[in-house]
Amino acid sequence: MADNLIEIRDVSVARGNRVLFSDVNLDIPRGSVTAIMGPSGCGKTTLLRLIGGQLRASSGTVLVEGQDVGRISRQDMFALRRRMGMLFQSGALFTDLSVYENVAFPLRVHTSLPESMIRDLVLMKLDAVGLRGARELMPSELSGGMSRRAALARAIILDPELIIYDEPFAGQDPISMGMLASLIARLNKALGLTTIIVSHDVDETAAIADYIHVIADGAIRGQGPTEQVINSEDPRVQQFVRGLPDGPVPFHYPAEPLLADLGLESHA
Amino acid sequence: MIDYLQRLGASGLATLQTLGRATVLWWQAMTCAPDWRNGPGLLARQLYFVGVYSLLIIVVSGLFIGMVLSLQGYTVLVRFGAAEALGQLVSLSLLRELGPVVAALLFAGRAGSAMTAEIGLMKATEQLAAMEMIGVDPLRRVIRPRLLAGMLAMPVLAQIFNVVAIWGAVMVGVHWLGVDAGSFWSNMQNVVDFDEDVINGVIKSFVFGAVITWIAVHQGYDVVPTSEGIAAATTRTVVYSSLAVLALDFLLTAVMFGVD
Repeated sequence: MADNLIEIRDVSVARGNRVLFSDVNLDIPRGSVTAIMGPSGCGKTTLLRLIGGQLRASSGTVLVEGQDVGRISRQDMFALRRRMGMLFQSGALFTDLSVYENVAFPLRVHTSLPESMIRDLVLMKLDAVGLRGARELMPSELSGGMSRRAALARAIILDPELIIYDEPFAGQDPISMGMLASLIARLNKALGLTTIIVSHDVDETAAIADYIHVIADGAIRGQGPTEQVINSEDPRVQQFVRGLPDGPVPFHYPAEPLLADLGLESHA
Repeated sequence: MIDYLQRLGASGLATLQTLGRATVLWWQAMTCAPDWRNGPGLLARQLYFVGVYSLLIIVVSGLFIGMVLSLQGYTVLVRFGAAEALGQLVSLSLLRELGPVVAALLFAGRAGSAMTAEIGLMKATEQLAAMEMIGVDPLRRVIRPRLLAGMLAMPVLAQIFNVVAIWGAVMVGVHWLGVDAGSFWSNMQNVVDFDEDVINGVIKSFVFGAVITWIAVHQGYDVVPTSEGIAAATTRTVVYSSLAVLALDFLLTAVMFGVD
């Protein structure tokens, strides 16, 4: 059996009467870059929240480092989260702190390192994301790409074993998209991280991912090494990978026929 | 008819669920292990935000309420030749009722709404989720300092309100309308009982402070993370906490000063 950092077994999630996904099985091998892809609203972010323990599955188990995140205590959960880093879609920098203080925040709350060492660590991580010169700025003064990079520095400051990216490429210009993609790949190699990327940007993600899982209609439709998934026969995967406007995922939101809706059917 | 009953039941259940979530939030925030390293600093910061920033509106409103109370009291009392009782009238109504209640209503509008908007926006921009993922419990770091600050700041603000209002009453009653200063003050001293009037007022404002921040924090934490959601939650904070303050004031008054 491969060495998996995360094992998701038969997980179902329902919100009210709506089933987001059912019986999902997913393994994330240690040290790999694994991408979870799928159309918007398919429950990708929900899957991340399951791994981060911010949401509980209706059934099934989510094992992180062999611990069932649905069943461990609140305290153990917080201890486990210190070993994960997460980059949120918006960056989620604390708006009342400067870039420097944002990156230093995890160190200040979890360690009692002297200020000089905190400074060295923060500057090193900021240098890795190219924002050493922006340390005195407030989050409101950063561009979208910059705040995501600053948040990335914050996510890796405690040297986590697992780092999760929630839509790192959404709404980025090509330059910062390329910058982020190369950063993600470099960090994964340099720090030996296990990386999870949730994204719907096929090209950027496929370029850096070792494994891809495609979620659509509440289930995993394609799973495996990147090459294999990209060339998959499954029509849902094909539609997603090629970006076809119509297919198994219909262009139209479910509705009654147009003529009936316009009140023309009876005259026809 | 059945439909109506169903909707009534559903809204009743929803209300109970909200109340349950709010209670769990309060309980978890107040019972998690104290944070001796960062806790005092965070509390001081919140005390500054809810306390010091509310001072201006508390002082100005207190001054005017004291002045108006004195003016109105005088016009009635002087008809019975009892203008000397002005000190008694002003001090009792302020210490027992107006001080705690009006200060609490102002506090709800000034500090409660700001608290809801701040926490709501932190939730909408995923800052709370990010904090959780960093391994910091937002209940401990964000919610508890605010709850404590509200409980501590409100009694102090209410007493400041009282002091300023009595001073305003003296300006109007004694310096302007000419009530004898000696009888104004001695009447006040004779009738005000420390336990009965001052302490009861402090207890009231403590309860109001706790309830207002509880509502504000819960509305922020439970917000629908959109612009409309935050606007609605902020409005609800002010409305609910004002109503809660008025209703609780009646209850507390009945317990404290009720006819035996």
